Amino acid sequence: MTVARTSQAPTPPAQQRQQEAHQQLSQCARATSAYESRFRIDRPIVPARAARVVALDERAVAVARRVAGRQWAHARFYACEGGDPLDPVLRRLDGVPAPLRQVLTGTDVVVVLATEDSGEAYAAAIGRTCWERGITTAGLVLGIDYEAQDAVAALRPYARVLLPSADESDVLELLTALRV
Amino acid sequence: MLRKDINELLTQTGPGTAMGEMFRQYWMPAMLAEELPEDDCPPVRVKLLSERMVAFRDSEGRYGLVDEFCAHRGASLWFGRNEGSGLRCPYHGWKYDVTGQCVEVPSEADNSSFCQNVKLTSYPLVRIGDVLWTYMGDPAKTPPLPEYEFAQVPAEQTYTSKRWQQCNWLQAFEGGIDSSHVTFLHSGGLKSDPLFKGAKGNEYNMKDTKPFFEVADTEGGLFVGARRNAEDGTYYWRITPWVMPNFTMVPPRGDHPVHGHFWVPIDDENCWAYSFDYHPVRALTATERQAMVDGHGVHSKNIPGTYRPAANMDNDYLIDREAQKRGETYSGVAGIAMQDASLQESMGPVVDRTKERLVPADSGIIKARQKLRKAALALRDEGVTPPGVDPEHHRVRSAAIVLPQAESFLDACRDAVTVQPGVRQTTV
Repeated sequence: MTVARTSQAPTPPAQQRQQEAHQQLSQCARATSAYESRFRIDRPIVPARAARVVALDERAVAVARRVAGRQWAHARFYACEGGDPLDPVLRRLDGVPAPLRQVLTGTDVVVVLATEDSGEAYAAAIGRTCWERGITTAGLVLGIDYEAQDAVAALRPYARVLLPSADESDVLELLTALRV
Repeated sequence: MLRKDINELLTQTGPGTAMGEMFRQYWMPAMLAEELPEDDCPPVRVKLLSERMVAFRDSEGRYGLVDEFCAHRGASLWFGRNEGSGLRCPYHGWKYDVTGQCVEVPSEADNSSFCQNVKLTSYPLVRIGDVLWTYMGDPAKTPPLPEYEFAQVPAEQTYTSKRWQQCNWLQAFEGGIDSSHVTFLHSGGLKSDPLFKGAKGNEYNMKDTKPFFEVADTEGGLFVGARRNAEDGTYYWRITPWVMPNFTMVPPRGDHPVHGHFWVPIDDENCWAYSFDYHPVRALTATERQAMVDGHGVHSKNIPGTYRPAANMDNDYLIDREAQKRGETYSGVAGIAMQDASLQESMGPVVDRTKERLVPADSGIIKARQKLRKAALALRDEGVTPPGVDPEHHRVRSAAIVLPQAESFLDACRDAVTVQPGVRQTTV
């Protein structure tokens, strides 16, 4: 019997069997194996969301301040000061005024925080403006449900997502999950 | 995205893990009753929460779920002889009752008390509906038995199947509360599946592919409301309940039976998908039952004699690109269940959630993960019983309804999402 000579070291039989078995797997079985998972592209994900968080009332602003104290890539936080319900005045949390239309420039997601109904008209205005500009809106009502029923109703036509019984940790979880 | 440590916390359910301990607070489906069809039938291997066990039904019809391995030399009791009110290891004849108590060691003297000191770990196994349920936690804290409606209605009104899914339980479960994929992945099924087609709600589903969501906290879990535009001034709502940790229901369609799932961890890379269909007020028709047996709706066609789907990763899920081109299926994979499973398994055994790019429409999933994490940590750190243990939390229903735009689905549907025996489901 002749034995083929090669310049390479022979593959150990166990390893060879393992390789052959791997090659015989279906595409899907092979693709989900631990072996193949090592070849998934592993590059850091750049935060892509430019989020704006708008607090509609005093208690919501307090929550926004605490959340803003964390480290965020592109999230910016604002308090709704009131003014014309059709064109509400926002302020950055450091007090600098910021017109709504300017705040929304370049953003792709707005998170509205409310704890009561006082911001109902502004919720509708923000929701509508976002809608017109193709900006995804999420509404979080903080605290006991129904304190902000009207604000929820005002946001409902526009907000892609409403959490009617949220708490502060929901704000953190949502912003973290969205990589803002 | 989810931090690596939180992903591990949520996906690891073995003994001693935070999530594993949480799962051990609940009654869980362990197997289908059909797997132990008669007294003294062959024992069945069962793996749950990374523990290997064997289940048997003794000569008196009692169910037992005990450590798979004989206390003597560690042989598998799957080879055991189920006879004379116990399971006997065929190696040296040690025999155990349904509580795991050793009742006979033939090599010992006739009047020996040795076997009294030998007991295998065992868990209760109780039949409710078509399912055998187990509780793997502290016996002193055994909660009341589960009261899910699908398992409470008369036998002729309900059907349950199961299938092996080759990925972590959380991946499978998250599909159960993700209403936005239906319009895409299952669009073929809405038109053709005998357990889905013909409902008015399907038209709303197909006309409006960009649902809005409301995620409402409940004592036992969540209600995820997905709304789509309906006729002028109204919305079509689909309300999905989740009872912690792993029970989900699908909103109904027309008068079709209502369906849902339990997602039960086998180990950290496999789970059982229990799929049920029931009708609250009438018997399933022979046609409906046959459709379920044939793998339609949320059920799967399994390899005979097993609970492995016939379409699985080893045959690339029998993907049919021509059927995809013809518009019969959206992904090329046939069947609602395997459309979901094929994509969830493709993520890998445990998906790396640090790599996700979630969107606001994923808020149901974000909220569910948060609730799971908080509950697991509250149990571990403060001994707080998690939501979903109390049978009161089990009495939920899914619903589908058309409402005026100004109405909150929660206000309008309080009765619709609560079990009312003898009352028809709320459906469109």
